[in-house]
Amino acid sequence: MLLEYLGASDWLISLAGMAVAASTVVGVFAGAFALLSLIERKTLARVQNRIGPNRAGWFGILQPVADGIKMLTKEDIVPAKAEKWLHLLAPILIVVPAILALGVIPYGREWIPVPLETGLLFFFSIGAMTELAIFMAGWASGSKFPMLGAMRAISQMVSYELPLMISALAVVMMTGSLSLPEIVNQQSGFHFGFIPSWNLFTPWGLMAGLLFYTCSIAEANRCPFDLPEGESEIVAGHMTEYSGFKYALFFMGEYLGLFAISGLGITLFLGGWQAPLPGLDIIPSWAWFFAKLAVVIFTYLWVRATFPRVRIDQLMRFAWLCMIPMALLTLPAAAIWHYAGRGMMGWLFTFPLLALPWIAMAVFYNRRFAPATRIYRFAE
Amino acid sequence: MIAILILAPLILLAALGAVWKARPVHAALLLALALALNAMLYLAMGADFIGLVQFMVYVGAVAVLIVFSLLITRPGDEKAELDRRPGSVVTGLACTLPLLVSLCFMISRLPEIGADAHPFSGFSIEELGLTLYSTHAPAVIAVGVMLTAVMIGAALFARDIGGKSKPPSE
Repeated sequence: MLLEYLGASDWLISLAGMAVAASTVVGVFAGAFALLSLIERKTLARVQNRIGPNRAGWFGILQPVADGIKMLTKEDIVPAKAEKWLHLLAPILIVVPAILALGVIPYGREWIPVPLETGLLFFFSIGAMTELAIFMAGWASGSKFPMLGAMRAISQMVSYELPLMISALAVVMMTGSLSLPEIVNQQSGFHFGFIPSWNLFTPWGLMAGLLFYTCSIAEANRCPFDLPEGESEIVAGHMTEYSGFKYALFFMGEYLGLFAISGLGITLFLGGWQAPLPGLDIIPSWAWFFAKLAVVIFTYLWVRATFPRVRIDQLMRFAWLCMIPMALLTLPAAAIWHYAGRGMMGWLFTFPLLALPWIAMAVFYNRRFAPATRIYRFAE
Repeated sequence: MIAILILAPLILLAALGAVWKARPVHAALLLALALALNAMLYLAMGADFIGLVQFMVYVGAVAVLIVFSLLITRPGDEKAELDRRPGSVVTGLACTLPLLVSLCFMISRLPEIGADAHPFSGFSIEELGLTLYSTHAPAVIAVGVMLTAVMIGAALFARDIGGKSKPPSE
């Protein structure tokens, strides 16, 4: 506005707009990252009946600052056997795609940093860079634990990226657009005057949303799918040989990736910035988005505090035998939902189509892969 | 035009590096870089969809596949391999030369782009999808059938090997 008033040329205004949008995204999420690192520790402590960080500042509020200072002043060690350049490049290549991915998410009615027509495709293709970066980190460290961690990370991310994309594809099929603002706009309105018409409240959307959520945990390398950096098994996976600021960059990339993927999940299934009840539109749209983000992030923490880590063969089997078939089923379900009029008839046809295989799968796999009865040799 | 002038030499350098580097990991990463730069070239030319798909498929899938196979095998140094089997240079040339010649031939047959050539007007993704699934539907179906056949074949191979080695006991 001010620039227009001052008579600046068009390209200057658009450049300034881009700069403002970019700095807001980076600023907000860097702050949220610092806050989340504290909230995560506090929440985990609460679940595990501990107090958590409480020394730095009031209720430990300055803990992220203390952590930041510690990380920045630590010595940066590069192992003698490491490939110097790749070792340096890997943490950067993990943070950059996460920030780029945050750029296409519609945070509010008017707050869309980069309104791309191909937003969803952009999100996934940028995310593809993370795998290469993790490989670079693992390989360039010149040591065996990072290598093992990178192997685990890549196989996990490749396996879980498939159901992640397929479940997002169901939404694209129903919306007919790859543009994220358009996907949010199509989820406006309410059924019966009070149930928001979000994609989550359709049979295919419920299934796709659950799959998306599970896959996003795996993509973000979080517990129970945190095998790539399982502390008790392979030190810290691909981050083992990193210290100081580079290590902090890995953490930052991980949390920013978490924000990005939960933001995408909210956009696809939870109606983006739409209010959950009619009449609540008076609260700004971006506040709804961040409220939803907070709830989703809290469920991640909850899951982390609740579930134990899975084994690598269980992880792979779960992806290929359960997640991918169910994700593929959401596509015909979405098509049937569309041709059955997107209403009660849709529920009648698509709900059994998704629920019956789900139950059958659960029964069959429970029998097929049931753990052998444990024999207590010495404890009888 | 500026984008091509900046990106084309970089693509060429990355591709040459991918061929010349002795360590397979370096070659694979440089190949990924060349493919990513190609995607950027498409983006710079205004072809958003093909650029992003190029990035997703070639950097996200093909390069990761190559890198992953490097992780689970133990590739030796290429120089040592060449010393062991000097004939492989001839085989390599015999495989690539026809490709190069046909590529040069195709480029030479392209219509000349004069000064009056109008720039690419740009497709919307919707148009692209409609064209793919109406005019080019047989080609899309053929590719789909081929890929499915390849996938089933791969699964069968994997099954065979899996039968011989015992899975870890529960």
